Amino acid sequence: MNATGPEDNAAPARPSRVRLARTFAALDWGWANMRALGPGSVSSFLKIILDVVQVALTIGAICTLLLSVIALALNFSPWLANKFTILGVSDQAMVRRVIFAYLLLIALYIAAIMLIVSRLRRIFATLTAGDPFDPENVRRLRTVGLMLAALEVGRYPVAVGAAMIAPSEMIRARMGVNITAWFAVLVVFVLAEVFREGARLRREAELTI
Amino acid sequence: MPIRIRLDRMLLERRMSLSELADRVGVTAANLSILKTGRARAVRFTTIDALCRELDCQPGDLMTFEPGPTLGVVEGDAEA
Repeated sequence: MNATGPEDNAAPARPSRVRLARTFAALDWGWANMRALGPGSVSSFLKIILDVVQVALTIGAICTLLLSVIALALNFSPWLANKFTILGVSDQAMVRRVIFAYLLLIALYIAAIMLIVSRLRRIFATLTAGDPFDPENVRRLRTVGLMLAALEVGRYPVAVGAAMIAPSEMIRARMGVNITAWFAVLVVFVLAEVFREGARLRREAELTI
Repeated sequence: MPIRIRLDRMLLERRMSLSELADRVGVTAANLSILKTGRARAVRFTTIDALCRELDCQPGDLMTFEPGPTLGVVEGDAEA
């Protein structure tokens, strides 16, 4: 009698079970196999989108600047300002102030968004280079978190200012606390700390011979 | 760093250059020089194994322990 142990039967029996297990594993983790880092990956795709957004924002910033210059020019010709009525306010001085306030707010908003986009762009540049745990990414993520928090906090003075100019029902809704936005701010800060830990591990690994 | 890797003596005895040893061991010459100058934070057992194999010595021949201030933080951790 030949000494055929379980090893001989194992070869045909294993593949089907292993294949089944592997298929389920692939369905579960298939998305994790996508190329997230390095050139030609999702990161480079996102970086291209951020490039486009930054260009669009720069154009928007220039337009706002031009509008501000035009508004300043209008300031010196009161007969033009008389033609505008904004938010039901026709008083000339108020209209001017409202226009300036809006332009300033739009400029600040664009500036904050541009800062966020530029930092995110640099982060994704490091991801595309295949080096996610660049120590600078910690600082960049914290800047993004701070800007998001500043935008959230800035909504209150804007709502108050708008309410003073033209009280309406909409303003009351905007005064609420946006839980989602604050949650996102906290998540970004936690991710910054995760990146700090990653940078520390990378330094250790670099100096492990 | 209290633990020091003494490669110079063994290299001299075996009449090998640093870059040649690096080739044989399978690490870059830069990494080996990091090891030699005592800036390494950790050494893999596989590296020690390869070093002992190529230099035909014991791990104890390579390492010395001199009690003193430990390099506790990696340069650059101070920014944390």
